[in-house]
Amino acid sequence: MNIVKENITIEEQVLTLTNQRAVYWKNQETLILSDIHIGKTAHFRKHGIAVPDQILQDDLDRLNHLIQHFSVKKVLVVGDLFHAERNTNIKTFKIWLNQFSDVEWILIQGNHDKKSNHLINELNISVVRELTIGSFTFIHDNLEFNGNGFTISGHTHPGVVIKGKGKQKLKLPCYQITSQQFVLPAFSLFTGLNTRDIPKDATCYAFTDSSIFKF
Amino acid sequence: MSQFRDSDGLRIINNWMAEKGHAPFPFQLQTWQRYSNGYSGMVVAPTGFGKTFSVFLAVVIDYLNHPEDYPKGLKLLWISPLRSLAKDLAKAMSEAVEEIGLDWSVQVRNGDTPTAVRRKQERLMPDVLLTTPETMHLLFSQKKNSRWFKYVKCVAIDEWHELIGNKRGILTELAISQLRYYSPKLRIWGITATIGNLEEAKNVLLPYPDLKVTQVTAKQKKKLDIISVLPDEIEVLPWAGHLGANMVDKILPIIASNTTTLIFTNTRGQAELWYQLLLNAQPDLAGLLAIHHGSIDKKLRNWIEDNIASGYLKAVVCTSSLDLGVDFKPVDCVIQIGSVKGIARFMQRAGRSGHSPFERSKIYFVPTHSLELVEVSALKEAIKNKQVEARDPMVLTFDVLVQFMVTLAVGEGFDADRLFKQIQQVHAFQYMTKDDWLWCLQFITQGGQTLKSYEEFHKVILDEDGKYKVKSRRISMLHRMNIGAIVSEAHMMVKFISGGYIGMIEEFFISKLKPGDSFILAGRILELVQIKDMTALVRKSKAKKAVSPSWLGGRLPLTSHLSHFLRLQLSHALEPSRLEKELRFLNPLVSRQHEHSHIPKVDEFLVELIETKDGHHLFMYPFEGRLVHEVFSALMAYRISKLKQITFTIAMNDYGFELLSDQPIPVDDTNIKDLLSKENLMDDVIASINASEMASRKFRDIAVIAGLVVQSQPGTRKNNKSLQSSSGLIFRVLEDYEPDNLLLRQAYTEVFNQQLEEVRLQEAFDRISKSKIIVKYAKSFTPLSFPLKVDSLRGTMSNENLDKRIQRIKEQAFKIK
Repeated sequence: MNIVKENITIEEQVLTLTNQRAVYWKNQETLILSDIHIGKTAHFRKHGIAVPDQILQDDLDRLNHLIQHFSVKKVLVVGDLFHAERNTNIKTFKIWLNQFSDVEWILIQGNHDKKSNHLINELNISVVRELTIGSFTFIHDNLEFNGNGFTISGHTHPGVVIKGKGKQKLKLPCYQITSQQFVLPAFSLFTGLNTRDIPKDATCYAFTDSSIFKF
Repeated sequence: MSQFRDSDGLRIINNWMAEKGHAPFPFQLQTWQRYSNGYSGMVVAPTGFGKTFSVFLAVVIDYLNHPEDYPKGLKLLWISPLRSLAKDLAKAMSEAVEEIGLDWSVQVRNGDTPTAVRRKQERLMPDVLLTTPETMHLLFSQKKNSRWFKYVKCVAIDEWHELIGNKRGILTELAISQLRYYSPKLRIWGITATIGNLEEAKNVLLPYPDLKVTQVTAKQKKKLDIISVLPDEIEVLPWAGHLGANMVDKILPIIASNTTTLIFTNTRGQAELWYQLLLNAQPDLAGLLAIHHGSIDKKLRNWIEDNIASGYLKAVVCTSSLDLGVDFKPVDCVIQIGSVKGIARFMQRAGRSGHSPFERSKIYFVPTHSLELVEVSALKEAIKNKQVEARDPMVLTFDVLVQFMVTLAVGEGFDADRLFKQIQQVHAFQYMTKDDWLWCLQFITQGGQTLKSYEEFHKVILDEDGKYKVKSRRISMLHRMNIGAIVSEAHMMVKFISGGYIGMIEEFFISKLKPGDSFILAGRILELVQIKDMTALVRKSKAKKAVSPSWLGGRLPLTSHLSHFLRLQLSHALEPSRLEKELRFLNPLVSRQHEHSHIPKVDEFLVELIETKDGHHLFMYPFEGRLVHEVFSALMAYRISKLKQITFTIAMNDYGFELLSDQPIPVDDTNIKDLLSKENLMDDVIASINASEMASRKFRDIAVIAGLVVQSQPGTRKNNKSLQSSSGLIFRVLEDYEPDNLLLRQAYTEVFNQQLEEVRLQEAFDRISKSKIIVKYAKSFTPLSFPLKVDSLRGTMSNENLDKRIQRIKEQAFKIK
């Protein structure tokens, strides 16, 4: 796995963007990511769609790799850790989670997580609706934020469309950053891209397997 | 023979017909006689000539002559692709048996049949059952279904030409083979309109060596008038849909001077548009003009159909939704708006007017852009030469096979060896190997390699009695709900917020709208209020302008037959003959093409290179239809990209295609011959197909039919867009983990046979290799290239490094600023 990094400074904090859909906050030794949607593959199978678990496994492997790479102390999931109901994926995740006994896990509750409260109770993960660390407020859906200050959120699965000469068009996942907020891309690869809800005056950091591009 | 001529049965029928003032057509008499001699066969007759009574009365006569051969219960199964026809057919048959004095019951069974009636039928089957291929398979999925079919004497396949080219045809082939298993002496009769490959159509329907097979052809010919409606003046740069508004004034007088007119458009979007145009131009048509297409509420459609039949409606704007179906007596005129893309379809539509055997059919052709006038000229030429397209049968459609296997497992269960022998006799699976068969068995029991560990996909089990069965009620129910071979786009209901259903619309379209946006459906301008529970809630809009929905399924490609005539007509368009008024009219356009570039002769192939502020354009004009051009363009993009790292966006229509790049395209006189060479054609095509996503798109339908993706779910309506889009994901996973998956291979085969039309592509390259290749550098868009420029459907092909592309786009954007 090729981890490409780019440091940016927001509110005097250095955040490391990666092309692997997660941000490392060195000062706090925290890995920040959003929208893993664990349980989605099994949920699809339950509804008659033949999706194998390899997709989940790939997501978890990538997360494992990132945790090792940065020697992370804390993982902050900005919502939608789980996709839906209890299913076999959750078991996989539970076993997988056991290897990180020295890592602190925090979940900001997302719209999907609301249905799975009982699942989270079984895991050693603390759950909060909102969390403020320093000048950052973490919340799943930025639209539900009533306070002031800088938010870090997920939920929208942001993507950006790049148009070039000769009617070329490319769609890439991205981080969106404005003076007020920072929207994270969905961590899971088994998610769509939303290229419509781009906040006003946002700077987009789009990424590929080998690069990060600022737009 | 004389025995039959003197038989009581024939006498009774002859008398009955004579009472009504009719006499049998020769082909009817021939069918009756052959049937009574134990033949199976195919009847070739145009609609409106009593083809129904050819096969139906054959069974009646045989019954009258040999009542002792016919035990109680089902005698004749009538399988038709169209639900809407069944009711009227059943009525006609019921009247006939009653007047003849038989105590037969004739009933319909399809998706519209109420449960109570179905239960009643299951207790006691009628003598004649009219049904659809899908419903046949549903019947096979019932417990103890074989008892209903034991004594069936005849199965008739109506409108076989509509079935043969698609997967519903495979459903039909499989249904026949199962019926033959239940009732070995079954006689099989197909009824078809004229198609280009009648002999093959017969062999597909009747592949069984133990059958006596015959073909009966009606000699009657329909008289046809084709009148093209010319605009007042010609635009030299034509573009799709643009001619619309100023042609309305030409259409109104045609409507006024006929009793009832059907106005055919090619897409539902166009139908909505023309309905508005006509009403705006002549408001007093309100109430007398209706719009009919597949997305309109069924009740409203039925009302419209009834009122065409009664002659109340003056005109109906419609799509292929009215291509087939009940005969509308009052219709004496048909208007076709825009290209029909095929000879058979054109004749079919024309035949909707002047329906009775001795009337003339009359069809007006209204072009939506000037180039379509070449098409009508080509159509006339093709019809003069009696050329109609072939409908190629599909083969080795494993998705339908595994569905059928599960269907039988849900029903009575099956013995694998016996079923294998049965399936091998079916035309579509004649070349299936034992390994393929074992794979299918493994797929339905284990879900294939990739899904082995998921019980949800272990649908079928081998029971103690040696039969493969489905034991889970949930799986049985899900399977029954999803039997069939029609995969629909994800649709959404459209309802007024105050209540009242308007129709269906594709999710794809509605997802692009925001609340407050207006769109047109069922001839109304509607404002989207909100989307809730897979329903779009709307209110009436006061907006003057609104978007017409686009339906993905709407666009049909030009057939190869028509494209041949098109090239022919275009090649002499500079010097049209006196009678070719369309070509004469087109002269200014043709001259401009000639001056700025070139008019390709039959033995020439035109390539145009143009540079504009959009970038560098390469145009080629094979005139082979959109589907072939999709492959052709990908192939060209691939070959050029071997000369230079480059990114193209690709646009295509039925005449040609465009490769557009931000960089100069390295094509000129020196290398064009190599780029268009026949050498390594298929290898390069395969390489370029892998690059594009054609197979993945084909896989979507295959995944649904094979049950990898479920279309209908019991209970709540849910958003199935995300569910359907997952077929792309399954495709990728299978490619990575199970490349020999038969369904995956089928996706590629389908690309080759249908999309790519390998044979047609080979022929095209053959032709091009013998042609003189003309490369022209034009200063601006030519009449031929202009429609391609404005076409918004585009694909991309690139062999450049993604990062590099992004980098360059960034730089370009910077420069423009």
